[in-house]
Amino acid sequence: MRSLQSRLGSGLILSLIAVFSVLWLLVSSGIQSLADEYIASRLRHDAEMLLSTVNFDANGNLVQDETGIDLVYTKPFSGHYYLITSAGQVISSRSLWDHSLSHAEVSTGQIIRSYQDGPDKQLLLVIDNGFSKQGRSLSVTVAEDLNPVIQSISQFQSHFAMTALGLLFLLVILQAFILHHSLRSLARVRSELKQLQQGKIEQLGTDLPTELQPLVSEVNHLLNIMTQQLHRSRDVLGDLAHAIKKPLTVMQQLTDKHRDTMPAELQETLAKQIIAINRLTDRILKRARLAGHHHGGVRFSLAQDLPDLINAVEIMYSEKSISIQVEMDKETDYQIDREDMLELLGNLLDNACKWANSIVKISIRAKSGISICIEDDGPGADPEMLQQLDKRGVRLDETKQGYGLGLAIVSDMIREYQGSLVFGRSEKLGGFRVDVTLPAGEG
Amino acid sequence: MRLLLAEDDDALAAGLKKELIAAGYAVDTADNGVEAEYLGNESIYDVVVLDLGLPRRSGLEVLRNWRSNGNALPVIVLTARNAWHERVEGFKAGADDYLGKPFHAEELLARLTALLHRTSHMPGGTLTVSDLLLDEERQTVTTPDGEAHRLTGTEFRLLRYMLLHPGKVLSKSLLTEHIYNMDSDKDSNVIEVYIRRLRQLLGSDRIKTLRGQGYVFRDS
Repeated sequence: MRSLQSRLGSGLILSLIAVFSVLWLLVSSGIQSLADEYIASRLRHDAEMLLSTVNFDANGNLVQDETGIDLVYTKPFSGHYYLITSAGQVISSRSLWDHSLSHAEVSTGQIIRSYQDGPDKQLLLVIDNGFSKQGRSLSVTVAEDLNPVIQSISQFQSHFAMTALGLLFLLVILQAFILHHSLRSLARVRSELKQLQQGKIEQLGTDLPTELQPLVSEVNHLLNIMTQQLHRSRDVLGDLAHAIKKPLTVMQQLTDKHRDTMPAELQETLAKQIIAINRLTDRILKRARLAGHHHGGVRFSLAQDLPDLINAVEIMYSEKSISIQVEMDKETDYQIDREDMLELLGNLLDNACKWANSIVKISIRAKSGISICIEDDGPGADPEMLQQLDKRGVRLDETKQGYGLGLAIVSDMIREYQGSLVFGRSEKLGGFRVDVTLPAGEG
Repeated sequence: MRLLLAEDDDALAAGLKKELIAAGYAVDTADNGVEAEYLGNESIYDVVVLDLGLPRRSGLEVLRNWRSNGNALPVIVLTARNAWHERVEGFKAGADDYLGKPFHAEELLARLTALLHRTSHMPGGTLTVSDLLLDEERQTVTTPDGEAHRLTGTEFRLLRYMLLHPGKVLSKSLLTEHIYNMDSDKDSNVIEVYIRRLRQLLGSDRIKTLRGQGYVFRDS
């Protein structure tokens, strides 16, 4: 798709060029005919003036009284000429010198306009006027050189063209500026969409031209629906957990209480089933609660939520007085749903603290994605078990030694986020080591 | 030790109450958040077991209100959701411990004991003051001669409270408040009877009487 700016811009330039060309043609031809008309009417006046200077004497000879004649008609090749003819007699202006002017036969009252080449490469406008005086007919032909007028007309035309080009240029610049300005709101929407993807904002700004408003409010509406759906399903799942856990707790209390009066086999089976239901509920509910790469939830803040989480874990393990060390750059940033990340880190830290003697270390590095490494100084896992943990398809919650539900939930999350989970032995602390990497959130 | 159990599920609350009483707690219950918040502000409780999913006012809100009013009551939070964000919220709101449902009553009792020890700055599994050792599970006290004496319910509650507050003046009404729950007949004169009985068991100089003020358990 071509850009809107270049499409609108080229359309506007072409139409402006067309408008200016038509305008130029109209104005030029208008001026030309106006000038011709003006000269012709002046020549007719001259012809009448000339008529008053000639007379027929008693012999019928044409005589002229040159005193009242304009000086331009006496200067050779001045560009103003006349020719008076009557029945073979000819009187011509001195300005014609040795040049002759062809003239048409005209009857009395008739006026003929024509163009012909004059002396000195002149272009002449010629008017033949038919008159009758003292009972005889005569014709007065007057001519004027058009070159000076043509010259000023072409000067005007070139001025006009220059001005038009200048205006065209200014208009093009102006429209480019206007277009750029109006398309800036599109650019803003684009950058806001990017921020939205990264979770920096939750809604698009609505201070926009009316053409964009419906689009943006539709996007905002959809975002709202998505957020509401996530909240609603999380609430429903939470209520469900609540509803299941209460009777389960009562059952557990009863089984515990009647431990001594109940057949051992029955008690054991009941206790096992209760644990199984509980784990299953927890795991399925947590998997269902995952926001994944969808947007709409609150984002995890490494600067604020991580210290809160570590504080919570430290209180939970206050009896063991474990120190949790954090290694992370200040600028480290990763966009992920807050509840998901708390669940992930909480389970990993819980597991580490459970096994640690006194130190748990968490290192976080974010570069396009995020990599988290959690180590402890506990007994660690033996290589055989690590292999088992690595094997695909091994259900973590079925492995022994307490690497249970927490890690199973973590592995569910990693799968949802298409990240990776690696278990190993910590070289620095000697205990268990978990490496988690999550890819960068795709749009 | 007087305990407030804020739990809306009747069956669970009734079962837990029995276990808690058997473990030597004077237990009052609240089945909604508003009542729980009100009772928690009465400053007669030593510890609270607070369910987060209470009706009328959520446990989290109750806890936040207590803490913002400067009420530092030790609180163990119970929750069904078991989600980490909820745990973090709970601790941020001022919870002292956390227990996900379902749980064994023993685990709750162990955490309660640990929390009470922590609050009284007496960490460690057993409650030992000078040369006396109180076994909170069996409700016996071991005297320096190595003999373990079985205690009645009220004797245990009274001794535990005194051992957790050694060297402090404890008035009769304070002791009554902390070893009996709301439903009991509170006759502070009965306290004298139990004090006499404890003196017989532990030696008369351990509990000092301050006339008109109350009793002091000597910690050395």
